[in-house]
Amino acid sequence: MTAFVYQFLAFAYQVADVFAFLVLAAGGLAIIFGMMGIINMAHGEFITCGAYVTTALVRAGLPLPVGIVMGALFAGVLGIALERTIVRRFYNRPIDSLVVTWGVSLIATQGALLVLGSAWTSVGTPLGSIGFGDYSFALYRLVMLAVAIGVLVGLYLLFMKTRFGVHARATMQNPAMARALGVPTERIYAQTFGLGAALAGLAGGVYAPTLTLSPTMGTGFVVESFVTVVVGGADVLTGTAPASAVLAIIRAACTAAWGQVFGLIGLLVTVCIVIRVLPEGFSGWLMRRRA
Amino acid sequence: MTLRDIPVLFNGPQTLGRGKLFWLGVAAVIVAAAIYPQYAERFAISNTAYFGVWVFMALGLGLIWGYGGMLSFGQTAFFGLAGYAYGVIAINLGAAHSYPFLALICALAIGTAFAAVLGYFMIYGGINGVFVGIVTLSVTLAFATFMNQTAGPQWRIGRARLNGYNGMTRIPSLSIDWLDGHRIRFEGATFYYLVLGLLVVTYLALRVLVNSRFGNVLVGTRENPERVELLGYDVRRYQLGAFTIGGFLASLSGALYTAWGNFIVPASMALPAAAMPIIWVAVGGREDLTATLVGSFVVLYVFQALTVVSQEYALVAIGALLVVTVLIAPGGYVIWAVDMASRLRRRAGPSPPLSDPALKARTQRG
Amino acid sequence: MSMLRNLAIASAAGLMLGVSAAAALADDKPPLKIGLLEDHSGDIAIFTMPKVHGAHLAVDEINAAGGILGRKLEIIEYDPQFDNAKFQEFARRLIEKDGVQVIFGAATSASREAIRPIIDKDNALLFYAQQYEGGVCDGNMIGTGGVPEQQFSTLIPYMMEKYGKKVYVIAADYNFGQISTEWTRKLVTEAGGQILGAELIPLGVSQFGQTIQNIQKAKPDWLMTLVVGNAQSAFYEQAAAAGLHIPMGSSITIGLGFEHKRFKPPTMQGMHVVMNWFEEIDRPAAKAFVARWHAKYPNETYINDMGENEYSAIYMYKKLAEMAGSFDLDKIRAQIATGKACIDAPEGQICIDPKSQHASHQMTLLSVNADHSVKVEKVWPRVDPYWLGQIGCDLTKDDPKEQYTPSNLPSK
Repeated sequence: MTAFVYQFLAFAYQVADVFAFLVLAAGGLAIIFGMMGIINMAHGEFITCGAYVTTALVRAGLPLPVGIVMGALFAGVLGIALERTIVRRFYNRPIDSLVVTWGVSLIATQGALLVLGSAWTSVGTPLGSIGFGDYSFALYRLVMLAVAIGVLVGLYLLFMKTRFGVHARATMQNPAMARALGVPTERIYAQTFGLGAALAGLAGGVYAPTLTLSPTMGTGFVVESFVTVVVGGADVLTGTAPASAVLAIIRAACTAAWGQVFGLIGLLVTVCIVIRVLPEGFSGWLMRRRA
Repeated sequence: MTLRDIPVLFNGPQTLGRGKLFWLGVAAVIVAAAIYPQYAERFAISNTAYFGVWVFMALGLGLIWGYGGMLSFGQTAFFGLAGYAYGVIAINLGAAHSYPFLALICALAIGTAFAAVLGYFMIYGGINGVFVGIVTLSVTLAFATFMNQTAGPQWRIGRARLNGYNGMTRIPSLSIDWLDGHRIRFEGATFYYLVLGLLVVTYLALRVLVNSRFGNVLVGTRENPERVELLGYDVRRYQLGAFTIGGFLASLSGALYTAWGNFIVPASMALPAAAMPIIWVAVGGREDLTATLVGSFVVLYVFQALTVVSQEYALVAIGALLVVTVLIAPGGYVIWAVDMASRLRRRAGPSPPLSDPALKARTQRG
Repeated sequence: MSMLRNLAIASAAGLMLGVSAAAALADDKPPLKIGLLEDHSGDIAIFTMPKVHGAHLAVDEINAAGGILGRKLEIIEYDPQFDNAKFQEFARRLIEKDGVQVIFGAATSASREAIRPIIDKDNALLFYAQQYEGGVCDGNMIGTGGVPEQQFSTLIPYMMEKYGKKVYVIAADYNFGQISTEWTRKLVTEAGGQILGAELIPLGVSQFGQTIQNIQKAKPDWLMTLVVGNAQSAFYEQAAAAGLHIPMGSSITIGLGFEHKRFKPPTMQGMHVVMNWFEEIDRPAAKAFVARWHAKYPNETYINDMGENEYSAIYMYKKLAEMAGSFDLDKIRAQIATGKACIDAPEGQICIDPKSQHASHQMTLLSVNADHSVKVEKVWPRVDPYWLGQIGCDLTKDDPKEQYTPSNLPSK
């Protein structure tokens, strides 16, 4: 009996772990895609950026939470800069935005390798571990879960309870009308892009202690985050969160049963099925039911 | 049909370039390409053929995306499937008789059939817009992930080990045996001529296709599917047709690439590889066949030259090139250059030599 | 845009350097071109850059001492960007366009297998300066890194005696990982041990929660880790954070991936590795080599075995050419067949085995302490690459150009 309980707890822990990973990896991408229709191929590089800034600050003596917040802020500022200089020219050309951000990501990855060098010592995972039964887990992974949930709650408050949120939702539904009503859509776009980049930076900062720091590390998040956004659809709250939960269960189950390869393949097959059944993702489906 | 009707087949509103001057230019390029091997060294010939191999996939994507308005992010799935099919069949049959040629035909059939099935499920399933890109990307990534884990000895088809991430090597080159037993091996200059011939045929055939009713309906669907449907066309049939032809051309690239390098790897279907055709077509120009063809070829050449010259700065330079091109020449640099040239000439003289209605429409829209 | 400008300046400067170098050599014999094909970018660049540095260090030293047979060496190098198709493209370019006969390069087994058919077809020579899964019997390739009989036949008996007979294996899911797992399975079961589980992990995976649980559930005495690349090396961090404290063995950590320099102590505590080179080796020749290296490349984090092997490979080429009195590849092969091709490498003496064309090595077993300092546990003064010869590969007689594994032996 206890063995079964431990087994169940172990599985629940795996699901929660994958859930946190998907929410954090995909949040920034989902916001940018959902609000602006832009597929940001440089998403992984914002994650990398957050991870490097966090690590550099922690090694300079700052505590890890401060480092993570600074990493997110730094990525956010870079995001706004990128939006102002380049991305804003592509709002009605989503495919060109894909090509241009891919170009930016090439420059950023290889530029980081040239400028920052290759090998950075990681800062190490804080907190320790807890054990039950045969298993033991890193406590820090629970922090990640908490941050992921915090991000979802924070976004809910931001989009539902603030002036920015009202403006942003108006801009998303009908930019022309919003502009006519005096919403500064230009600024909203810049802020949204910055927010998406900051969330990516946050993911990088949170995961930095658990990963190897390298300029290509962001690419490790990209496939999963695209999958989550596609399954979720255009809205972070009604899309990304449930999509992450469903995908986490599928991935954890496939991985536990058949190994890592089929965890990944299971994820990709799910995408094809979901798109076939729910072409606009979870959020589109929910919207339609509500309407 | 008389001889005079033939030009009508190749020209029309969906392609840039018409008139004697343009076709003389095309003929000159073909002649130059045909005598090129007489003057170039072995490596240059084989390298040029290698660029040509990729252009089929670019032309296919140009048809699907530029003309049909569906961005496929997974042309590499057909490329890889046909490549692997050629490899497995050619290794199993061996190089005797015309078996490698038979392997090529089978590989094309398999890749095209897969494209037709996938296209059917997507297009008739109501998937459109950016989601076509995501489904096709998922398919190619799933395929690459699956092939990556086939390193073990249990993954073999007949005599061919799939070999996982390392990929299959030592695949026989393409060859045909004539009835008298004489064998043509498609290597070096012979392979170059094969690619050149196929390119010319493909280019002309696609020109006929896009200027036919098929092309007009396809472009109409890109611009306004509802209106085309109201005119009584089943747009999905035309989209599926374009998707299948695009899949066939990607398969042709895949099988030829495998035959050229005797080599195919799962990485040829993974993320950076899957993005490459989009980049060639977007940078070169997607709404015109000639622009796609010339543009892709030049981009391939420039990327390689940059990689050779600038070593570890290459990726930075390629990235910068992409950003700059998309910023200043959104329709692709070939169309931009043609446009610039015609503007300059108009300023210089009274007669606009490129009085092409299609170009005008395009430049106004862009 | 400043990046572009820098690029322009850099290439202009490169051009001028090239011109002046050519002028300096104009009155000598023309330099001998050698090809160098190593990743400068991509997922494993941090491990392969030392190979580039090692090659340049060796060539600089050799040129300063007058070159080989009176000819200076000139490196022609390209960056294949961790892309096997580019490895092929550039191998062709090096041989067919640049007229290179000898190529130093390839890191992963995949890139080696990609270029080997080209090397074979054009009858060139590949120096594969890389520890790997072993088994390549090809007259056009010389392997100067460690092979399983040098790494696993030493490490596994030691680990089984010291920690126990129940073993769990995690390995990168491609040929290197699969064949190394095959070796581990063979050696462990032959010695009466048991493989509790062997998990193959796709390249690029960085999340190991489930894997760590599987290991905890299986309760092995020790763990063989054969994970590859940046993403996968996150396993160590995550295992340590989860409280998985277990002795580990590997053929690629520390000496190759310098994880003890990249992770915070005590992540790598309990790791055991056998290799022919570690920067920490405390012998005069090794110390002098490390000093020369750091004088030229002060920012090098760690000189890994790949770097040392590449350096030694170029000196091995020098030795072979001087023994043959010629750069002719047939004459060089005739010298390999004598079995007398030996050099004093930084690690100690290495010799080329005529049957397999792989190098003998002095092997060192290190373990990692809690503070990430290392301890030499055992030294084998000379281990020959005997396995290929044992199973019937003899390149002095016959050249099958095949790769053999314990489950894929030559057919007799």
